[in-house]
Amino acid sequence: MFAKVLIANRGEIALRIIRTLREMGIRSVAVYSDADRAALHVRKADEAAHIGASPSSESYLNIDRILDAARRHGATAIHPGYGFLSENARFAQACEDAGFTFIGPSAKSIALMGSKTEARRVAKAGGAPIVPGTESGLTSAADAVAFAREAGFPVMLKAVAGGGGKGMRRVDRMEDLAAAFDAASSEALRAFGNGTVYIEKLIENARHIEIQVLGDQHGNLVHLGERECSVQRRHQKVIEESPSSFVSRMPGMRERMGEAAIRAARAAGYYNAGTVEFLADQFGNFYFLEMNTRLQVEHPVTELVTGLDLVRLQLEIAAGERLPFTQDDIALRGAAIECRIYAEDPANNFFPSPGRIERLSEPSGPGVRLDSGIYPGWNVPLDYDPMLAKLIVWAGTRDQAIERMLRALGEYQVGGIRTNLPLFRLILNDPAFRRGDLHTGYLEELLKTPIDWNPPGPPELAAIAAQIAAWKMKEQTTAQAAPDAAKGSSWATSGREDLLR
Amino acid sequence: MNRIIRIDGHMVEPADSDLAETEPGVYSAIAGLSSWEAQVTANEITIGGYTFLVEFEDRRQWKRSGRAADAKGKASITAAMPGKIVRILVAVDDAVVAGQGIFVVEAMKMQNELKAPRDGRVAAIEVSENDSVVAGAVLAIIE
Repeated sequence: MFAKVLIANRGEIALRIIRTLREMGIRSVAVYSDADRAALHVRKADEAAHIGASPSSESYLNIDRILDAARRHGATAIHPGYGFLSENARFAQACEDAGFTFIGPSAKSIALMGSKTEARRVAKAGGAPIVPGTESGLTSAADAVAFAREAGFPVMLKAVAGGGGKGMRRVDRMEDLAAAFDAASSEALRAFGNGTVYIEKLIENARHIEIQVLGDQHGNLVHLGERECSVQRRHQKVIEESPSSFVSRMPGMRERMGEAAIRAARAAGYYNAGTVEFLADQFGNFYFLEMNTRLQVEHPVTELVTGLDLVRLQLEIAAGERLPFTQDDIALRGAAIECRIYAEDPANNFFPSPGRIERLSEPSGPGVRLDSGIYPGWNVPLDYDPMLAKLIVWAGTRDQAIERMLRALGEYQVGGIRTNLPLFRLILNDPAFRRGDLHTGYLEELLKTPIDWNPPGPPELAAIAAQIAAWKMKEQTTAQAAPDAAKGSSWATSGREDLLR
Repeated sequence: MNRIIRIDGHMVEPADSDLAETEPGVYSAIAGLSSWEAQVTANEITIGGYTFLVEFEDRRQWKRSGRAADAKGKASITAAMPGKIVRILVAVDDAVVAGQGIFVVEAMKMQNELKAPRDGRVAAIEVSENDSVVAGAVLAIIE
């Protein structure tokens, strides 16, 4: 096993990796940019290396600086975390070329699954179902008609050079198809200078369900069940859970998805931890979407229902060890839910809200796990993703996990900046969420109705607020009248500072 | 000294609960049979999941910036943080309604819409697309 591991990442995931390293008696090396000098992951690591200025391009994305730091500190392996360089095949190769073990899959697997069309091809060759569609552009409306006759409606026409919804048309009836083909094609031509479109079956009310896979370098591959990540906003996951209540209801679906994921991973020569993402329709059909060749943000829900430490397993696999279990040993127990806590203001169109954390009360107690990168006094930097923490709960059943999450959210207070904490109370109390009635458009629909993010509180609580305000005002005037009297009371001092600010 | 306290904009008779400061900024209030914990940050008090805005009559302290815009007169749209103007969605003299998107700005790796604080007419746009702006910069005036 490695003696010292450098973590090429920041924030909560760096800290999460440091914790497992410490449990395994491995020294940890944090890296940090100018903006992160006082970050929690730097405080908690055994060693720390400054790697550059605040913009990620000059620090967390700078391969040379990271390799230099690893050399300087005598690390023998590098964990990339998620985001930043974690899915960069060039980085994985550069680590190996410089003599460091990259804790993840081979550079070859990363490159293979990094290309969407290649990944689709590999998955299909491996026998995983993909969204039915044409592999290349259509030459005429007649091609589209032929496909739709075979696949059925609705279908989606998409620009090959596409993006941003341009050149996309949903079509529900045969008689609309030819006109839609012309419209999509001319729109694509205007937008991208390339009018080629292809056609795909539209998966209606699709769920996002993904399978965690784990493989060693000796050809053993297992899956650790699914995570449902259908609650999304602007294609960003907001809540994840394991197991999926939908998959649990559909006989044999978990096994079928698991096998499809393993086939896709095997076809890519995959080892270490990875995630195969699928879209699932309301009948339980599922289609390969893409593979994430790294540890996922939402890995803790899988850890809680399987009882495994995925980072420990990643390290063991990278060190050449064999998987310590087979598929038959994996069982999912209970239910886990994760909420991604962001510095953003739901009342202001989810605008990012960086700044100083003035006060922090964190949830704890039975079944609660908090993977956090913040502390009171920490200044949330502008330069990176505004995710602050992940709140994860486990309970015996999904209903109890929801109740537990609501309890934990009630204990969570972040003062000084806005967070999306109120969003989770909204979702977890929503009857459709409670029923597990989800699809990737669920949250956008929920947010269509105007929401009062700060409903007026009951009069008896307003009266207590007034009493506290009066108390604070009195403290202030007393402190002003007799400055010496305030000495020794840090509360009075900080209260006064608050008021003078 | 005798300033009036407003809670969420209303004058509220203070309770006479048994109040204790348990840690800086955290109060325990026992009111009748009920035990409450209150957290105070700047001008906000959070109790039982509800957040109350605290204001003093003379508005010298605990003043909240960027709260509700005036119904008439000028309102400005300012950058809450450094960022880049990705798109401008309106032109000078356009009529706009409260909540209508005015700018798309990129900050913290995310694109977001800045919206009109109220109904009105775009009197001025102070930036161009692709401009970098600093926190507090005035981007547009609505009147």
